[in-house]
Amino acid sequence: MSFVDSIAAGLSLVGNIEAFLALFLGVAIGVIGGAIPGMSATMAVALTLPFTFAMQPITGILLLLGVYKGGIFGGAIPAILIKTPGTPASSATILDGYPMAEKGEAGRALGMALWASCTADVISNLSLILFAGWLASFALSFGPPEFFTLILFSLTIIAGVSGESLLRGALSALLGLLLATIGLDLVYGTNRFTFGDPNMMGGLNFIAVLIGLFAIPEILAMVWHPTAHVGKARRLGKNWVSFAEYRRSFKSIVRGSFIGVFLGSIPGIGAAPSAFLSYSEARRTSKNRENFGKGEIEGVAASEAGNNGVAGATLIPLLALGVPGDVITAIIIGAFMIHGLQPGPMMFILNVDIIYGLFIGLIVSSVFLFVIGSVAIRGFKYVADVPKRILIPAVLVLCIYGVFAVNNNIFDVGVMFVMGWVGFLMMRFHIPAAPFLIAFILGPLLEDNFRQSMLMSGSDPSILVRGPITWFFWAMTFVTIIAIVRAGVRAVRTGPAFGQKPEG
Amino acid sequence: MTFKTLGAICALSLGLAGAAMAEYPERPINMVIPYGAGGATDISARTIAEPLGAAVGKPLVMANVTGAGGATGSVAVQNANADGYTMLFARVGSHSVNPAMKATLPYTLEDFRFVTVYEINPFACVVSANSDLASMEDVLARAQAGELSFSSSGVGSGPHLAAAMVLDAFGLEDAANAATHIPQQGGGAAATAVLNGTADFLCTNSSALAGFVANGQMRALMVTTAEPVAGFDAPTAASLGHPELEQMVGWTGIAGPAGLPDDVAAKWAEWMEAAAADADFVEKMEARGSIIRVMAPEEANDFIQTQYETFRKLVDDLGMRIEG
Repeated sequence: MSFVDSIAAGLSLVGNIEAFLALFLGVAIGVIGGAIPGMSATMAVALTLPFTFAMQPITGILLLLGVYKGGIFGGAIPAILIKTPGTPASSATILDGYPMAEKGEAGRALGMALWASCTADVISNLSLILFAGWLASFALSFGPPEFFTLILFSLTIIAGVSGESLLRGALSALLGLLLATIGLDLVYGTNRFTFGDPNMMGGLNFIAVLIGLFAIPEILAMVWHPTAHVGKARRLGKNWVSFAEYRRSFKSIVRGSFIGVFLGSIPGIGAAPSAFLSYSEARRTSKNRENFGKGEIEGVAASEAGNNGVAGATLIPLLALGVPGDVITAIIIGAFMIHGLQPGPMMFILNVDIIYGLFIGLIVSSVFLFVIGSVAIRGFKYVADVPKRILIPAVLVLCIYGVFAVNNNIFDVGVMFVMGWVGFLMMRFHIPAAPFLIAFILGPLLEDNFRQSMLMSGSDPSILVRGPITWFFWAMTFVTIIAIVRAGVRAVRTGPAFGQKPEG
Repeated sequence: MTFKTLGAICALSLGLAGAAMAEYPERPINMVIPYGAGGATDISARTIAEPLGAAVGKPLVMANVTGAGGATGSVAVQNANADGYTMLFARVGSHSVNPAMKATLPYTLEDFRFVTVYEINPFACVVSANSDLASMEDVLARAQAGELSFSSSGVGSGPHLAAAMVLDAFGLEDAANAATHIPQQGGGAAATAVLNGTADFLCTNSSALAGFVANGQMRALMVTTAEPVAGFDAPTAASLGHPELEQMVGWTGIAGPAGLPDDVAAKWAEWMEAAAADADFVEKMEARGSIIRVMAPEEANDFIQTQYETFRKLVDDLGMRIEG
């Protein structure tokens, strides 16, 4: 079958009103679901799944993909407006998005989030269509040792998001690593720090920790000091992102998109680390690096490009290998199987019409995302105008419901409040929360892959330098650490005037 | 006795009689799925929920309570009222492998009463298509040389026990330690580990492997059912001389807390009969490689108890019990 035939076959599958309607509906559900704190893209996809059972395979899968893509973008809306990531992937967006909203620039931040997301989406989809086979074989050369070195390198992000004090960032990261050890030991299956409570056996719920760390401290601060915000301009205004700003951030967006494509095509990492990596790379190379963390629009662009770049690319291992890359694609792969489709190399031969139908649908989904995202921003941006004394209690209720709904477990709500106090204390002592989160995500991956490597080699550490991929990441790690140390030394030399503005 | 009190007594006794006669179920039933959305248990549960809901006549409220290999959701049902309004989708991992292996699990089989097992999943053992292992003898030879590694979806999971059981049956000395177990986080990762060469060997649900085998990425060496499994060009355990491995199958069932009344269990037996007769349900499940076999409450309890005891003995023989 020639390329044109394939496209024609694909078109004949998706070229009907139901398929496009499902896709459109999916993106809309995703954006709304992602925008509700605690709901998360994962849950939006899980809730939509049963509705697809009765649909045509391609229609059902397009619906789910729409929800996925919409959800990853939608998470940015509450991250910017109320400092609560709607979905873990948008945690990095908080770093600059929320300070922008505080300055009364929520409209600009949201606009940039949308533009960056859509650009990354297009790049990610094109990478899927053009390089799926190549990237998939690359992903298969990623065993535990390669993973370990990649995660080790990713931990250097902590330096990029620590703000003014690297030491405080490291402290925060240590706390995150420590809490990530709670739960079942991967290799021996024994309980670690569970104190005999079955609720702790699964580890601390990620969404509960996330919301506790970011949203609850704001609420506690409001209780502590109810009138602190009075007199601060927090209006949305009529501001909107300008094309000049988009062009200025374009390099970061493209870089972030490719980071997303790269990390997305490797099963097991997910969108949140990609967003943080993209953010820290943008900060490292930007002319405005001093402004990062204080409301820099390029930071919003980079993190949103990083997480949306993953969305198309996670379909690479799914379609080419039949392997789910993260929790969401695991659900989507379930939908394939329900319809009797078996993703994998044979699908490109047996069901080429479905593959090309999906490709066409994905391209269209970027356009839908832009349209629905613009409408959603217009609707949601008035949240920024709601007085804080009304907004904050509403956020609290949403957080409690959202965290409960993730697992239908009241224990998670308790975790959220405890983490809220931890986050509040960290805020009071100017300890940044982002390194905590990165360490909490990456810590278990680092540990598991290290131990798997050791199991593979019979405890011979030379497996950690077994091939070019590991060499590459070792080199990257050393270069970054040297750069961090040099920047630190320079900061000390230039005297205390620089770097002495601890900002919460 | 005044007319008023008489009236009150009449009303009360009528009310009581009404309450006693009220048929179970009067209100929606909470169904706990102890694993995440999109997993084998979740899909199975949501597929049967449709015909089952019609048979029950009241809504079934499906909730995924996930964590700790199914333990979190199982505990939620263990602690619920035994009135039949909180039921659990139990699975081979949460209710026979895990109790057999983990000493510190907060529940035992005695804490549950099974009302049915409705689905059986054959297990298959696979290697990567690039592997030079062509038969179970090759696998055994490599294991005896101390060079075999196998992946699983975690310590105390079905695939962990299955690999040890299979190697033990084929005569490997000290099967739990002679081969290297490389646990992964979840079933998808376990399959990926075989594909990318992290591990050599994997035994798990045939439905989780069907795609890889059909796509020529993996090669099946054995299935554990008495009959060959469609799509798997591999001998059965019995034909290789190990019919005892037929115990190693996955299943999904429904359980309530231990004190579940007999009439509730009887109701469930009726409903399951009706639900499993639904042609659409059977077709969907069989397309995914499951075998539909509805067991009555008694039969289900016996089935699980037997499997648990087999596993328990194996775990003790091989010293695989997790005490910490």
